[in-house]
Amino acid sequence: MSDAHWLTAAEISAAYAARHLSPVELVRALLDRIAALDPRLHAFIMVDAEAALDAARLAEGDIAAGRARGPLHGVPVGIKDIIDVAGLATTCHSKLRLDHVATADAEVTARLRAAGAIILGKLSLHEFAIGGPAFDLPFPPARNPWNPSHHPGGSSSGSGAALSAGLVPLALGTDTGGSIRNPAGACGVVGLKPTYGLVSRRGVFPLAFTLDHIGPMARSVADIALLLDTLAGHDPADPGSVATASRRFGADLGRGVRGLRVGFVRHFHETDMPADPEIAAALDEAARVLEGEGAHVQTVTLPSLSDFSGVQRVIMLAESWAIHARWLRERPRDYSAASRRKLMSGAFLSAGDYVCAQQRRSTLMAAVDDAFRDVDALLCASAMDPVCRIDDAEAVARTYPRQARNPFNLTGHPALALMGGLSRTGLPLPVQLVGRAYDEATLLRVAAAFERATAWHQRRAPI
Amino acid sequence: MTPADTTPSTIDALARARQAGLDTAAAEFPEDVAAAAQAAAQAQSACAGVGTPTDEPWPPMRARTSS
Repeated sequence: MSDAHWLTAAEISAAYAARHLSPVELVRALLDRIAALDPRLHAFIMVDAEAALDAARLAEGDIAAGRARGPLHGVPVGIKDIIDVAGLATTCHSKLRLDHVATADAEVTARLRAAGAIILGKLSLHEFAIGGPAFDLPFPPARNPWNPSHHPGGSSSGSGAALSAGLVPLALGTDTGGSIRNPAGACGVVGLKPTYGLVSRRGVFPLAFTLDHIGPMARSVADIALLLDTLAGHDPADPGSVATASRRFGADLGRGVRGLRVGFVRHFHETDMPADPEIAAALDEAARVLEGEGAHVQTVTLPSLSDFSGVQRVIMLAESWAIHARWLRERPRDYSAASRRKLMSGAFLSAGDYVCAQQRRSTLMAAVDDAFRDVDALLCASAMDPVCRIDDAEAVARTYPRQARNPFNLTGHPALALMGGLSRTGLPLPVQLVGRAYDEATLLRVAAAFERATAWHQRRAPI
Repeated sequence: MTPADTTPSTIDALARARQAGLDTAAAEFPEDVAAAAQAAAQAQSACAGVGTPTDEPWPPMRARTSS
């Protein structure tokens, strides 16, 4: 099958069932593509070729013998290299972790294996999911397949780049201040930060305990639902994990948005943090599209972005300092300059700063919950600017904090970014959708309707 | 960092970094320490303001029994 590398997981599963494609054929095709393209993109830190081929042979035998386990059986997936895969290093893209070999799978990895997914390798990231694109680390930063001189977003940079370049059909990312949604939007794919507590964090190196989320990234909303079906579920070993009823997150994907109420949070990008005109135009167009599909779109007002980002920042810096203080004291030169600067900030915050931020967090959570009394989903900006060149440190520093993703790390609501346009320079423009806590099904329903109406997801990076 | 770059706020940041055990970083990466202190101050000011002192912090304490 030609162009097998562009198939979605749902299409791969159908092709396996119809005997038009086999897991070994697909894994070989992806390994060839990685060998050809990754030297330019640096999406992978490590490709586990032999283990992937072994797993593909097993899956092929099982599927041929009528023992298919489900829609992810034999489907390759890339894992952000901050998530444990037993027997492989979890480097966190850092010199500090080069020798750390995971002795057990993270819960999400174990769930993928149980579903029959094939672990293709470990994907690059910003160091410890915070640093930013850096050139003073053991591995180069991932690059944007739409234009390799540009930033792919982060911190799940390799996940976004690998999906966008057709190196994997599915990937895992982590999101503490927007790190799934940023690369998803920048690379023209789909990324979901699930509700806090829905997906286990066990076996994932933490950045900030009360803000960290693990979630699915893919090239279609339907694939996000398939992956979330596997990832979600209670894990007693994660103290933040929540027991919820089992469900199929994609059950409502085909229902459309007629009759749903979508709140458009205009002030985020119009007054709080004025966005680039191309971003603003993509958001207006997204509102028009959803209205055209039958949704009732109304303007919604939340607390200001500066309220959210100030509180999120204090909590993230304080919690990450608690994790990194010892290394920062003993081995500061082993961090990239970007990580060192960010992670040391927590040393200058007090216990009172942290508690005050957590107090204000309660108020902000209540404000977002209140908004969901009147609407079923929110539409708002993700990034405020198209992505910049990766070697332009000033532009990266200026644009990276200009975002509206971190409010929902603070409140825990599920939030998804996907492509909503293409800039004049040929780079994806993101939009963000947000749902009620634990109502990923409605959020994905809205995203699927937008996807069908616009077909941006069918655009391919010109690599 | 040259002596001319060493402002009172930088001197203060380096002293506070040493109090936090960041002696090596303060010696080898004074610019990074100063930038970290500045970022913390910005976060503090963005977070300061209205809030009710008696609000319960999130997440609330929850007791549990393991046995």
